[in-house]
Amino acid sequence: MDTFFNVWHYDGRSAVRRKVEIQTIGRQFFLLENERRHGPFSFSDVEYVTRKENVDVYGLADVDGWRLMLSGPVPAELAELLPAYRKYGGWVDRLGLGKATIAFTLASAAAIAVVLLSPQWLAPLIPSSVDKKLGDALVGDFGGRFCSTPAGDAALQKLVNSLDSKPQDLQVEVAKIDMINAVALPGGKVILFDGLVKQARSPDEVAGVLAHEIGHVREKHVMQALLRQMGLAVVLGGVDGNSGALVNNMLAMSYSRESEAEADAHSMKALGNANISPVGTASFFDRLSELDGSARNRDEGQGIAGYMSSHPLSRERKKAFEKSIVKGKNYKPALTSAEWTELKTMCTQDRKAKSGFGFDFE
Amino acid sequence: MSEDLTQRHSAFRFHGSWQEFAKIAFPNLLLSIVTLGIYRFWATTREREYLWAQTDFIDERLEWTGKGMELFIGFIMVFLLLGLPFIVIQLISQGLIFRGETVLAGVITLLMFLLLFYLTGVAYFRALRYRLSRTYWRGIRGGSNDPGFGYGLSYMWKSFVGWLPIFLLVPWSMISLWNERWNAMSFGPHRFEANADWKPLMKRYLLFYLVPFLLVAGLITVAIVAAASGDQLGAIGGAGMAVGGIIVVLAILSLYIILPLAALAFYSKYFRLAVGGLRLHNLEFDFRARAPDWILFFLANMAIVICTLGIGYIFMPYRNWKFFVDHMEAYGEINIDELTQSKTIVSKHGEGLLDAFDVGAI
Repeated sequence: MDTFFNVWHYDGRSAVRRKVEIQTIGRQFFLLENERRHGPFSFSDVEYVTRKENVDVYGLADVDGWRLMLSGPVPAELAELLPAYRKYGGWVDRLGLGKATIAFTLASAAAIAVVLLSPQWLAPLIPSSVDKKLGDALVGDFGGRFCSTPAGDAALQKLVNSLDSKPQDLQVEVAKIDMINAVALPGGKVILFDGLVKQARSPDEVAGVLAHEIGHVREKHVMQALLRQMGLAVVLGGVDGNSGALVNNMLAMSYSRESEAEADAHSMKALGNANISPVGTASFFDRLSELDGSARNRDEGQGIAGYMSSHPLSRERKKAFEKSIVKGKNYKPALTSAEWTELKTMCTQDRKAKSGFGFDFE
Repeated sequence: MSEDLTQRHSAFRFHGSWQEFAKIAFPNLLLSIVTLGIYRFWATTREREYLWAQTDFIDERLEWTGKGMELFIGFIMVFLLLGLPFIVIQLISQGLIFRGETVLAGVITLLMFLLLFYLTGVAYFRALRYRLSRTYWRGIRGGSNDPGFGYGLSYMWKSFVGWLPIFLLVPWSMISLWNERWNAMSFGPHRFEANADWKPLMKRYLLFYLVPFLLVAGLITVAIVAAASGDQLGAIGGAGMAVGGIIVVLAILSLYIILPLAALAFYSKYFRLAVGGLRLHNLEFDFRARAPDWILFFLANMAIVICTLGIGYIFMPYRNWKFFVDHMEAYGEINIDELTQSKTIVSKHGEGLLDAFDVGAI
């Protein structure tokens, strides 16, 4: 700390440093330099700029580069007229670091909570026309990959009708893609991949998976996930790339698991209502859990794949389906064997449908 | 009044201490975490205020007058103008892949990439402009009236020409872009002149460029020798195998050690040449750090980050600035009376673009 009070001035027009004295007149002041007098300036225009070593630097509103630099013990009557020292910036200085930290933590937690919880209420409010348009925009005709034969379509429709009370809202298709997977997309679209249908040993198995996807549609999971992702992208936008993406993915994953459980529950209920045995679905999951690795990694990518319903196949899910078997109930097969054959061979019969993904997906 | 620099030891001196910086960096880290990263714009500003204020140029400290809010606004602008449209474009192109329009999706992705590339160039330019316009010395600041859109085009074509002859003209593109960038900048009434020559850089570049080839060639030579001696050592058994194993380990290690060393040696020369070619009116600049200085600097940085389990990362801005100032030198003289205020425009937003792309300074 300097022993003497010293004042320096730059006028902002040239780099000449001026040793001055401050002459205060009410709320205004002059800067006296030898024979020159600068001013008058108004104290209300003075702004705090920075602190250099033991020098406090002040600026003047609207005068570029104007500087008043004070070192040493500032007279109390002058200090009162000058703006306060700024350490962290507006809000933090006003509250103090401790209180500001608590306030920011609460605000951040609230923002995350809103983003995570609001999609559940917001998703049903999105008009179904928007949902449908989004689905159409995304999928279109799926690049001509949907398979269609009269008998196959009829068998598929029969399955859908037995599993859902409002089948007219749904658009279920089989796509000529050799992957063991199925997806629910916006606008009530459900796509079963041909690989999954071919793998299945009975129509009951396909019914279980289809009911699961319909569950995603009915619970509005796709729209929820979309809204949640968008919200998280905004809220975590300020966080550095990697850590933000990590948090985002972890949150999205936990919600995706919750959605899967809900969709499973929906599937079991729909199977029960349709009088279709869950045994097939359970054994289907059991078999797939061995093939799991390949089927799973593929759809954990970004973008569309990120909100496609993935199917983490686990023992617990299989057990849940086994548990839902009602003993002594007189289950009937989901399709007749003729219908099942038609559905299974639909993509083989339909030669017009394109296969694969347009590029090598394997 | 004029300042003769030739008499002085160094025109630039840094007076900061890491203990003082820690008192800024730790609260910054805390506040950045509890605000989900939003505080980091104010954090950067506080760090720069400290670093600039601790930097002497001749007889006066520098001043950083940038505001956290400016950086925040820049970030928001990028998010709205670029982030959101890019998310939408990505969705569209994925939708196109779904529909089998792979070519169209590819074209859109390519255009997106080109636009990003262009904007990266603009961002480099604008960040330098922003930093100069917020840096004051004796009440005088720098800046540029060029918005940098033309520089973005130069950045594209010069980088492309640099890569075209199997990356051999990269030194030319780096130096040429540096010169173009700095020639558009000014401080006070004076324009910077940047006339760095790229040819002296080629030797170092070729060293870096050829390291992988030399290593492979060396490896093959050693392997042949080892194989020849292995024949003779056949009686001793696995010794030849062991030698081979050691050679592979050495080769991998040397690739990880020699390549970064060669890169640093190149960058050291680049920065020395680039700064050495810079003039401001009667001032000439020099950067005295040589390759060993850079290597020690990076090893120390790595050691600090690793030994503190990553926390030391928050000291990197301090380390970088100190390294920069400690090795900067200026010669010539400044006429203080002639050094009048810059007439360049001052943009109200900060380094948004640069911040979004996460590219470095100067």
